[in-house]
Amino acid sequence: MISPSRRASASSAGNGRLEPVTARPSAGTIWLAFQTGSTKLATVVAEEINWPEVLRGRDNAVALAGLRAVLLNGLRVALRDRADVNDAHLEDFAQDALLKVLERLDQFSGRSKFTTWAHAIAVNVAFAELRRKRWQDVSLDALVADGRELTEPATLATDAATGDEERRRIVGALRTAMTERLSDKQRAVIAGLLEGLPFNQIVDLLGTNRNAAYKLVYDARRAIKQHLMAEGISSETIRTAFAS
Amino acid sequence: MKPLTKEQLTGLIHLVGATHEHELDCSGCLAQAAEFAERELAGLPLGEALVRVEQHLEVCPECREELLALKKILQAQA
Repeated sequence: MISPSRRASASSAGNGRLEPVTARPSAGTIWLAFQTGSTKLATVVAEEINWPEVLRGRDNAVALAGLRAVLLNGLRVALRDRADVNDAHLEDFAQDALLKVLERLDQFSGRSKFTTWAHAIAVNVAFAELRRKRWQDVSLDALVADGRELTEPATLATDAATGDEERRRIVGALRTAMTERLSDKQRAVIAGLLEGLPFNQIVDLLGTNRNAAYKLVYDARRAIKQHLMAEGISSETIRTAFAS
Repeated sequence: MKPLTKEQLTGLIHLVGATHEHELDCSGCLAQAAEFAERELAGLPLGEALVRVEQHLEVCPECREELLALKKILQAQA
């Protein structure tokens, strides 16, 4: 088996098109046949391949190159409106995604097409990296400070809720919940999310893993919700008050 | 931190309101995103397991962004 860490030398040379790749079939049934200028045909062919089988095969070089080309084309479509993404980025994302797909091959359940599953991983890899670059200068200290400020009337201002008595009551209860029910870390995470900080970045800043960070956020949301409910503020009350 | 805008405040309220007893995390969402996208684009019912994906998408802008991108790929192939 060729190591996937070696950049798969697909015949897609980064020009955005699938180019001819012909391989001997795996299990005597499948030929990879990506054709220049016929992305649709290539897609149909790609979807008919038993990818897990050919990727696990001893002679998987062509399958690796083929899947990499499929992922690269998908990323090109998904990120075509991004001014901050160039061909080199796409190549790197496709390669990293290929490695992730191979790592997780056993997790493919077959409830979707394999290529859709692989594209989902590729999109996740690409967006995670783009978000990381955008927010790389944020520090944990700054985040914790922002979290503390969430308890201040100037930050969580009732006038942001524009007038209405019920809205002021809800925002007041929200601030009390922030102050009394959350830890510094929880407030920091909430502040980060409100400012659009990517979850992966928050995970990195906290020096924890995704599951632990998600639980931190979930527990914070639940604590706030419980406080609001204890104050007689239900989800329905909130929806009605903030409907317009 | 600057004072929260009305949009941020509404976002926070929405986050709290959309909290469920049992939720999927981002990894769980990613694991089912392909099936979710295919079924949604085909107009097929989601089923109980995928409803939890839908709930996660309500509170996670990142997973929402990724699902949109995935659907864009699938639509380009259709």
